[in-house]
Amino acid sequence: MAEFRLLRSPAPAPSRDDECLDAFQRELDYIYRSLRRLGTPASEVDDLAQEVFLALRHSWDQYDGSRPIRPYLFGIAFRISAANQRKRRREVAFAVIETDDRGPNPDEALQTKQARAHVLEALEHIPLKRRAVLVMHDLDDVPVREVAAALSIPVFTVYSRLRKARGELESALRRTRKDGGNA
Amino acid sequence: MIEELPPLSPQARALLDRERPIPSLPASIRSRALARAHAAAATGSAAIPVPPSRPVAASWIPWAAAAALVIAMGTAAAGIYHHRGSAARDTAPSLPPRPEVAPVAALAPALPGDDLVPPFESIAGEGPKRSRIAVPREELRLLKQARAAVARDDFGGALGPIAEHTRRFRDGRLVEEREALRVKALAGLGRGSEASRAATSFEARFPKSVLLPTVRRISSTAP
Repeated sequence: MAEFRLLRSPAPAPSRDDECLDAFQRELDYIYRSLRRLGTPASEVDDLAQEVFLALRHSWDQYDGSRPIRPYLFGIAFRISAANQRKRRREVAFAVIETDDRGPNPDEALQTKQARAHVLEALEHIPLKRRAVLVMHDLDDVPVREVAAALSIPVFTVYSRLRKARGELESALRRTRKDGGNA
Repeated sequence: MIEELPPLSPQARALLDRERPIPSLPASIRSRALARAHAAAATGSAAIPVPPSRPVAASWIPWAAAAALVIAMGTAAAGIYHHRGSAARDTAPSLPPRPEVAPVAALAPALPGDDLVPPFESIAGEGPKRSRIAVPREELRLLKQARAAVARDDFGGALGPIAEHTRRFRDGRLVEEREALRVKALAGLGRGSEASRAATSFEARFPKSVLLPTVRRISSTAP
């Protein structure tokens, strides 16, 4: 009897859904922040994060587990943001109340939070396609080739979008600094 | 040949450096997001494909062309019908009765034991703005699934079709019913604070809804 007690059935392999949920849980902070960087209003981030999860679950078999997951997730978040932006253009916004960190809060003493709000505000001035490239490359430090793969665009397009987006970011930051100085 | 990228200014780089670290989400948002993801995974049918990244103009052209075609055909058909009708009035004392369109109720019969949502025939005939045949079948199908799940107390199972309906018909014909079902499903799952939030949002959006008293009751009795 004793030897039978030593035998254990192997632990069941995690299911596809478990793996996907696990990845979603690990990268939840990143997904939320990426959606905000892509211009999703704070009031819609919850719903879009769920859409990212559902899309991730749908395409889980296509994800190559040997590669970093963040560029893959960013690609999904970008497409969902773009679809949402198209939808929003056709709809009248319904009672959207921003409760997030748009614009420096006079009561907020933390410099970092102000800087973050400043960057988000400046990013708003860059069209989504170029903003996605800039965020991936200059904030997430994703190499150009991976940016191209994640967004399904040629490498040259990444370079040209990045060049233009950097210029737009600089002018937006200059403008917001100037507005802040005048205020 | 790869073009040279302009370097970012030190000020811009410093700001990006501040934004680079990913901040942690508050525990309440994190737990809500994970609960929703688990509920969606549990229903098993809510996975959606990644939307294609296509240009906006390209998505408008076929729809605009189709709409123009439908309008042109409708105008032509109405002209023919009017012409025939006036010819018939000259020769006959009255027109034959026009065939009735299929009522929405035929597509979505009321489910037994569901006290929250009125059957679709009453919804469809409720006001002058709602056409009896304008509710897409797919929209009805999803709401039927959600209603059926709520009726058999499978509240987790109702969230899948509700989420899919939200995604596909964000401002559809049955959005009021969907949001009422959401409150009931969340309350049934014991997610009282979420149910209460959904009820508040429902009240703000549909202040004159006939479902409002029921929604309030469910939300106030939720744990």
